Amino acid sequence: MLTTGLLIGAALGFVLQRGRFCVTGAFRDVWIAKNTWWLSAFFVAIAVQAVGIWVLNALGVITLEASAFPWLATIVGGFVFGFGIVLAGGCATGTYYRTSEGLVGSWFALIFYALFAAVSKYGPLAGTTEAVRGVTVGTQGSIHETLGVSPWVLVLVLVGIAGVWARHHLTKPRARFATLPPEKTGLNHLLFEKAWNPFATALVIGVIAIIAWPASWATGRESGLGITTPSANIASYLTTGDVELVDWGVFLVLGILIGSFIAAKGSGEFKLRVPDAQTIVRSIGGGALMGIGAAWAGGCTIGNALVATAAFEWQGWVSFAVMILGTGAAAKIFIAPRKKSAAPGRVPAGV
Amino acid sequence: MAQHVLETDGLVCPFPVVEAKAAMAEMPAGDELVINFDCTQGTEAIPRWAAENGYPVTEFSKRGAAEWSITVQKA
Repeated sequence: MLTTGLLIGAALGFVLQRGRFCVTGAFRDVWIAKNTWWLSAFFVAIAVQAVGIWVLNALGVITLEASAFPWLATIVGGFVFGFGIVLAGGCATGTYYRTSEGLVGSWFALIFYALFAAVSKYGPLAGTTEAVRGVTVGTQGSIHETLGVSPWVLVLVLVGIAGVWARHHLTKPRARFATLPPEKTGLNHLLFEKAWNPFATALVIGVIAIIAWPASWATGRESGLGITTPSANIASYLTTGDVELVDWGVFLVLGILIGSFIAAKGSGEFKLRVPDAQTIVRSIGGGALMGIGAAWAGGCTIGNALVATAAFEWQGWVSFAVMILGTGAAAKIFIAPRKKSAAPGRVPAGV
Repeated sequence: MAQHVLETDGLVCPFPVVEAKAAMAEMPAGDELVINFDCTQGTEAIPRWAAENGYPVTEFSKRGAAEWSITVQKA
């Protein structure tokens, strides 16, 4: 049954790479490009998943429960994680699929992310993480319990917002995007060449996120998509040999590496790319911050911003908002053109 | 009309767009900017940036494995 993790991970990795689904980019665009094109697509993925998992919950296939809201760890950890993903050049899944595209900077980010997630969850910082996560508010961790309404009210609100927002972006009159001249045909073109519409990609990711719940549940891991704990488990397993750590989630993240490698290789988008020293140092720092931040917040852009939001957990929505703030702070500090070399070379017309 | 070349190979997103924006600001209208890039995300981000700013794309091609070139005109 653990192999379903590998298959679902591979499907997810493939879709993330081909769809260029970058959550860091979505959050960053809010500040740098001042648009919400990708953020609204991300909302569509949350809404689709919410419908699916609340149906599964109603059918008794899974049980959605939230424990008391660890507000302090969520806010601090979410901010640190949001800050880190800008330095690392990708969130957790983004770093996984860029690793498979051959971006060596992402290898550094991934290794330090997994290492620091393990340090903060199982290592010397585990006590600190536990203490900070012990600071909670209320007894109910989900928004619908706090409001005293049915989760379906929130499902309706969420689907409404996502629908209107997506419609706004999809119907806005605008210039056509330039596309690459096709070299492939049929299914091959669709899978390995065509530029996918972000909203179509978001729909598929929402569906994969739904399927992940019962598939993971069947193996005794009672949650949906998750990246941070599996990454920490891999780091711990590699250093201790404790096979108990190798669960469905570990297969899921390994699947992401495989699926995105197939996607990148199949579409001629794999190339070993070694960045400059500064980018490597930032990737290491960003990866470490991501590991600590996600361990504190109880999840990354997937576990919290995509999955816990669909389950209407306070932890999910609060960390989602705080991550965007952290991304904005880091973007303000670190994103600027290279000095001097930004002046373009000039060549005569027609050359 | 002149053509300017911006080499961004090795830079990950959003830097190719950030640099293209800076280069564009210093160019006279009508000139073209050839942006060479190897960030996969750029195949989506750069044409979108051009479309949102009303800059025509006069050429867009794949130079090799994970290497692209796009020519954007300052309109």
